[in-house]
Amino acid sequence: MFAWVIVFAAGLFACSGTANAGPITFNSALPVSEGVGIFRSQIRLMRKSGDSAPMNRDLAVTAVPLVLAYGASPRLALFGVLPYVEKRLHITVNGARVRREARGIGDASFFGRYTMIQIDRPGDTLRIAPFAGLKIPTGAHDKRDAFGVLPRTLQPGSGSWDPFAGLTITRQTLDWEFDAAVRYQLNTGASGFAFGDQARADVSFQYRIFPRTLKSGGVPAFTYAVLEASLIWNGKNKAAGATDMNSGGMIWHLAPGLQYVTSRYVLETAVQIPVIQRLNGSALKTDWVWTAGFRRNF
Amino acid sequence: MHILPGLFMLAWLSVVPVGLACAEAATEHTATIAVDGLSCPFCAYGLEKNLKKLKGIETVDINMKTGKVTVMIRPDADVDDRALRQAVRKAGFTARDITRR
Repeated sequence: MFAWVIVFAAGLFACSGTANAGPITFNSALPVSEGVGIFRSQIRLMRKSGDSAPMNRDLAVTAVPLVLAYGASPRLALFGVLPYVEKRLHITVNGARVRREARGIGDASFFGRYTMIQIDRPGDTLRIAPFAGLKIPTGAHDKRDAFGVLPRTLQPGSGSWDPFAGLTITRQTLDWEFDAAVRYQLNTGASGFAFGDQARADVSFQYRIFPRTLKSGGVPAFTYAVLEASLIWNGKNKAAGATDMNSGGMIWHLAPGLQYVTSRYVLETAVQIPVIQRLNGSALKTDWVWTAGFRRNF
Repeated sequence: MHILPGLFMLAWLSVVPVGLACAEAATEHTATIAVDGLSCPFCAYGLEKNLKKLKGIETVDINMKTGKVTVMIRPDADVDDRALRQAVRKAGFTARDITRR
């Protein structure tokens, strides 16, 4: 009955953008210089509501992914992501409003990204980089409340080891940047439950709005207007070998945002607004997702 | 006897150009690197950090608009073009031309 939560939650935690400047909600192919580390964190708030069923379900999810990136070589960057998550579900049971919630460390992800193609020109770069990694079950998947064990989709962790891979493309000039990425995550099972696989395709366009014209000398701070689009597909979950027909589906988001980029840190915010949601069965639809974050290199 | 002043003069003249050349080498401590692919302020930090790792680099001045990076090199340091190109490559960029003053 809570299977719809996973439709968005998996993407919310597992694929928060990585560390270099670029898109806010997914990976770019921009370099992480050899010997340079980047720390990134975000706060992401997601709200789902509008249930027409008598339970009048209402879900709020808060995620704080912590990302550490390191340039192992000019072309190879290593990433680690550890999210903290809170999920709060309100439902109506026998006329009373009931809250079920879980909080804690979610599942960590580790992955590497290798720049296969790099074409540099003055003030302009094109990079194509595949990446691959593994989500590991660092989050609890057996939390309980007064009503018993929480549904798997409300747990902070999945319990499973899930490999993922993808490809990201970035073209960046001094005035604008375009990014595109595809990613597939193969979700395995744990304790008799398996989330459906996830596939996503993302694009992002960033345009420098300040300073309008670049002056010669130094490294000025850039302010970008950002527009991102994400198409996310989730497969159906399986519990005890049976397919949950009320899980999975497809969502297309648009996310306008702002990004302030200096040589040492980045501040950013975006609001993901669902444009199309084709979810299976009785899934709740997403109202919005708000993201704010920072990055700092060292 | 009259030949000695002439020999001294000849020796002095032969040393002067060497001395001037050494003085010129001592002042040749600025290199300007044209860096391709540099288009984001956040990425510029890695370039600065990798160049500063080279022994003898005193300052790194990045000009985002022109993509030119000027490094001040201590007169006694031996930082050749190969080392500069390597540092730029480690930062994830491409060094095109290097000019020295």
